[in-house]
Amino acid sequence: MTLQMRGIYKSFGANDVLRDIDFAVSPGEICALLGENGAGKSTLMNILGGVLPADRGTIALDGGEVRFKSPAESLSAGIAFIHQELNLVNDLCIYENMFIGRELKSKSGLLDAKTMCARCQEVFKRMDVDLDPRMMVRELDASYKQIVEIARALLMEASIIIMDEPTTSLTDPEIDRVFDMMRTLKGQGVAMVFISHKLREVMAVCDRYTVLRDGSMVAAGKVEDTGVDELARHMVGHEVRTESLRRERELGPEVLRAESLSQERHFEDVSFSVRAGEVLGFTGLLGDGRSELFQAVFGSGGRYQGQVYLEDRPITVRGTRQAVELGIGYVPRDRKENGIIKDMNILENGSIVTWPRQSKGGFISWERVRGDFRRLKEELKIKMAGEEELIGSLSGGNQQKVVLAKWLNSEPKVLIFDNPTQGVDVGAKEDIYDTILELADNNVAVIVLSSEAQEIIRLCDRALVMYHGRVQGELKAGEITEQEIMRLATGA
Amino acid sequence: MENAQNSKGRQLLTKLQNQWRNNPLFSTGIALAVMVIVQTIALSMNTSFDSFGAWAQNWIQNWISLLRGNAGIGIIALGMTFVIISGGIDLSVGSVYVTVGAFIMVMLNTGEGGLLAGIGITGVPAILIGLIAAMLLGSLLGESNGLLISNGRMPPFIATLGSMQILRSVTQYFMKAQRTELPEGYKSIARLSIGGQQLMPIIYWALLAAAMYVISKKTTFGRYVFAIGSNERTTRLSGVNVRAVKRKVYALTGFLVSIAAVIQTSRIGSMDYASAGSGFEMDAIASVIVGGTSMSGGRGSIVGTVFGTLIVAVMNNLLNLIGVDPYLSAAFKGAIIIGAVLLQRKDKA
Repeated sequence: MTLQMRGIYKSFGANDVLRDIDFAVSPGEICALLGENGAGKSTLMNILGGVLPADRGTIALDGGEVRFKSPAESLSAGIAFIHQELNLVNDLCIYENMFIGRELKSKSGLLDAKTMCARCQEVFKRMDVDLDPRMMVRELDASYKQIVEIARALLMEASIIIMDEPTTSLTDPEIDRVFDMMRTLKGQGVAMVFISHKLREVMAVCDRYTVLRDGSMVAAGKVEDTGVDELARHMVGHEVRTESLRRERELGPEVLRAESLSQERHFEDVSFSVRAGEVLGFTGLLGDGRSELFQAVFGSGGRYQGQVYLEDRPITVRGTRQAVELGIGYVPRDRKENGIIKDMNILENGSIVTWPRQSKGGFISWERVRGDFRRLKEELKIKMAGEEELIGSLSGGNQQKVVLAKWLNSEPKVLIFDNPTQGVDVGAKEDIYDTILELADNNVAVIVLSSEAQEIIRLCDRALVMYHGRVQGELKAGEITEQEIMRLATGA
Repeated sequence: MENAQNSKGRQLLTKLQNQWRNNPLFSTGIALAVMVIVQTIALSMNTSFDSFGAWAQNWIQNWISLLRGNAGIGIIALGMTFVIISGGIDLSVGSVYVTVGAFIMVMLNTGEGGLLAGIGITGVPAILIGLIAAMLLGSLLGESNGLLISNGRMPPFIATLGSMQILRSVTQYFMKAQRTELPEGYKSIARLSIGGQQLMPIIYWALLAAAMYVISKKTTFGRYVFAIGSNERTTRLSGVNVRAVKRKVYALTGFLVSIAAVIQTSRIGSMDYASAGSGFEMDAIASVIVGGTSMSGGRGSIVGTVFGTLIVAVMNNLLNLIGVDPYLSAAFKGAIIIGAVLLQRKDKA
């Protein structure tokens, strides 16, 4: 089925979010929809998915004009939308998930599991994957969950599949698996829309691209005629830096040292040391134990064996409060679950760590809080309407900056960043990098955990690569390359 | 000209609509105002009055007794608000109430078996010791709930369901056939009259509500309660000692329950250990929910809870005034709870 969207306009109040957008995708084609957070990608796809109505413009399927009033109408026209947060119920089997809401029943009115499983098998066969429909979804890794979502779309006879950042939580081999799947479907004439920030992935799997910026279409064309740099330039509107940002610094004394830390099932015999003014990277594949390691160091990850030293004094951190008081900070991964408090406003989200210092006798001095936050807002270039707005009103990048703000003000000796630029647009990413390097310039010991090799290469003075809970190797500034990281991270 | 006026009117209307939809205080406030108007009408129709003065006096008298009668639940609901905002629930408030009440009786009994009188402490010192001990006991019982929930990692529903059963049963066991007489000085805690009116329970309620309002808005503890209810993980990862905050929330509730028990025992002079406080947990939860606090935590307000308590109270008063069978009053209460939550339900996009 060929999709043609023409001259789409949409505004929320006085705010134009889409202006004159054309978008098309044909059978057997994967089209990338690119843009920074807030560029209008989601709005455009929500219009296509029947979630929002367009103010102006037309949508045509195979030349016939359509108008979707609800997601159900869009779905029955053959358009499936796979959201970034997967819509699967962990405690149900694969086939139950695939048929949820449209279960097949036998004549007696009971569920017909047999036929449902058989239908699932048919789809899996078409996709060339080997999955048992009776397996619990909980037991699947993230890539197979993605695949089940795609299978569900196919089961519903979707001929256009929209995928919103499908690779965010996947490791490299898992990403390859999903890409293989997309190529197989492409061969069978399915049209796909691939929404992503990751330009390398776009280059690897897409045929065409459309770039949105601030609600306007700024570029479109064939992927083979362009490159990562050009695409990035279209997205940001100016040149992006890919060079190393590392600068030579006089390193201070050792701040944090860990000797032989172990925790069952998570990490084993990990030792490291980081000095004031140093940026130490920890990288590896998903599930290599680095998050658990540093949550333990921060006092929120349960007991461990081994000894941690802060400025040469042995410490045992039993809770996060103690960690903050000692001068250890931790910017967590998964912003939505660990970083923000959705019912609280921007100001509170950006200051909760330092309330004890900003209060007297238990009473918070909101004036102090506000003053401190305004200073950080300038430093971090946080874009927002008002501090009293809920945190959810901000874009992902700005939310992340607010999370950083609450830690910057705590004046930590060591600050641990766990996937600091996850789901953050290119511009905000550069701002966050600037902030991290500035911390190091100010003699903070910085630890960056990331699975993005580029991030480690650009930021770190030294990097430790983990594999299955162990430190597999150490790389010095000059030696950190994508190949070296990959070699160590895969245990080779 | 007419157009301009029209659009202004429409602007105001959409503004009000937004308030109604997004601000639970606005909608509960309006609901309360409507109920008060209806109640006032019902009160006026009930009896004929010679003068406006007589009517007003009757109206005021009705309100004083309404507020006084609901001060206990109102105070307990303040604590329950914090518990629910923190993402928990406390089913044990009624049992803590009867336990603390019984404890006061035993401590202060001037007749046979009185604990303090038995060791020769009487008068004001006895009353002070009794009061402090009662409040300590209430806080400790709350704290033990908190310990089970935070350090023992028990779901609040189960932990407090357990302590609810234990406390009432043990209290009844020990208090079989106790005859008690409380000292006069103690009774004046609630009975002290101001201008010929017994206003003390209402004053305690108002003061505690004001204190809790300030705590909820301006203290680290208060804001942590909201943060925990909204996202416990993030709050812990922000360097907050979540367990300590949760323990404090339940201890605070126990403390407030003990104040309600003091007011009750001093006002009535006795306590029926079999039935006192039973159903208080549901009444308190109802006040909190009607007041717009989210059952899933993170959102709510003390002012809302005061409104919620008043809505339920005014409705009971109204039913009484128009002579509805008392057996039906629980049905109306249930309908109000369901109606309130239906109103407050946000249309999810």
